[in-house]
Amino acid sequence: MTRMTSRKGEGEPHGDQSPITRSDLIRASLNVGSLGLSFSWTYYKQMGIGFGLMIVGLLKKIYRGRPDDFAAALRRHVSFFNITMPVGPFVGGIVVAMEEQIARGELEPQAVQDVKTALMGPLSGIGDSIFLSTIRVVAAGIGISLCQQGSWFGPLAFLLIYNVPAWGLRVWGIQKGYEVGVGFLERAQRSGAMTKIVGALGIVGVMVLGAMCDSTVAVNLAVTIGAGDAATTLQQILDGIMPGMLGMAAFWIYYKALGRKMSPMVLILVTMVIGVIGSYLGILA
Amino acid sequence: MLTQALLVGLVAMFGKMDNQFGESFFQRPIVLCPLTGLVLGDLPMGLAVGGALEAMFLGSIGFGAYVPPDEIIGGVLACSFAITLGEGPETAIALAVPIASLAVSIKSGFYSIMSVFARLSERYAEKGSVRGVYATHFLIGGIPALCYGLICGLAFYFGADAVKAVIEAVPDFVFNGLTVAANILPALGLAMLGRLVLSRELVIWLFAGFLMSSYLGVPILGVALFAVVIGMVQFNVLGLAGTGQPEVAEGDDEDDF
Repeated sequence: MTRMTSRKGEGEPHGDQSPITRSDLIRASLNVGSLGLSFSWTYYKQMGIGFGLMIVGLLKKIYRGRPDDFAAALRRHVSFFNITMPVGPFVGGIVVAMEEQIARGELEPQAVQDVKTALMGPLSGIGDSIFLSTIRVVAAGIGISLCQQGSWFGPLAFLLIYNVPAWGLRVWGIQKGYEVGVGFLERAQRSGAMTKIVGALGIVGVMVLGAMCDSTVAVNLAVTIGAGDAATTLQQILDGIMPGMLGMAAFWIYYKALGRKMSPMVLILVTMVIGVIGSYLGILA
Repeated sequence: MLTQALLVGLVAMFGKMDNQFGESFFQRPIVLCPLTGLVLGDLPMGLAVGGALEAMFLGSIGFGAYVPPDEIIGGVLACSFAITLGEGPETAIALAVPIASLAVSIKSGFYSIMSVFARLSERYAEKGSVRGVYATHFLIGGIPALCYGLICGLAFYFGADAVKAVIEAVPDFVFNGLTVAANILPALGLAMLGRLVLSRELVIWLFAGFLMSSYLGVPILGVALFAVVIGMVQFNVLGLAGTGQPEVAEGDDEDDF
């Protein structure tokens, strides 16, 4: 990374005579490789093949008339790679900008490998927390509540809420990555903007999670207290105090159990056994 | 039955193809189960099962290199068995868990076997053969997608009788119990997710979201929108206060209550 910044500073990472156009970039962000990063996922190289295919057209343009250099570049980019999928094109943009420098002999090929390796972890961390644990959870929460009402709009709402930002980031990310290169991340880190956004989204994800503890979990105690007209179920009393409190309790029991490294499979089986015994004895309904 | 098996197979294959369409998550139960319901002529059932399974499998998602239970095979098969056998959503949910857990070995099996082909891409790349790299890409992804279709189609065609026999042998109170469990199990999915996202500073917001839903009855979307506002205030996203120090805001959570 230091090698990179010392060479290019804050300036343009690519020359004015660059053959790469805006539409080349946008097309790459939505091509077979970009959208299929996880299609050819294997333990061996994870998203490597998809990454190579995402930028292969751009590499071909950069190394036009230089088949050996093109092959070397392609070989570089089908190696191991992994990232939160919608963030992939952003890295692609950075890589393409660097490859242009490599093609002009301004940068060692090893530098692009170093940058990719360095970006994978932090960007996946940010990407997973934004897309997988926030947007996906919000989308699922809204979709599930619609499904519970029997609305066919549930699945559609889920898909729309998740995919509009995910696909938007692909198109925007590859251009931004290409335009500003690695410097962008350093600047974002310095200004603290990234920390703020990730922090704010953390609250969104967790609040929705909390709301789902109430809306998607149902624990119902069937035990009756009193007799005749005064009879009331334990559940009614609990609901009078705090609706959904048993769902929250179940969440914490599971949470603690998972913290003790208990397998989810075992917990599922235990829950099923408790459910069967509970309903047989008339405690749970 | 044959047509239905074919359709079930196609739905599973379509689900696996999600990986070629940007992992848009149409492979998730919330989409695949309603789709299964649609092709088998029982959309309401598909929606009910999809919603319930989505909540249950919410925490099981591939973060990094972790391979979670296979919700494609689990969701599609469980849903289609329950529909053809005329059972309720609780049967589908009870079936989904064991099927998804068995199927995970199929999934990781493919990931391992396909690693062999992944090496081919390197050789093609060294020769500068773009077509070869494309071929490995579609080979590695296409074979599992095809097999997912075959597995689900065949399992549905040949397995329905066996599943029916099992369901009939099981007494009613067991199914009632499984329904009870199915209503509790989403808490496990949420807890698995909680393990990934909860921190000491964030726990208070979990309760805030919970209380908004339980006492105030705010729907999920409403909670999410409130949360966006709160998040922006807490972390001074708009930069209005001019301090630019997000840490300052964290100490005084209580002020908001």
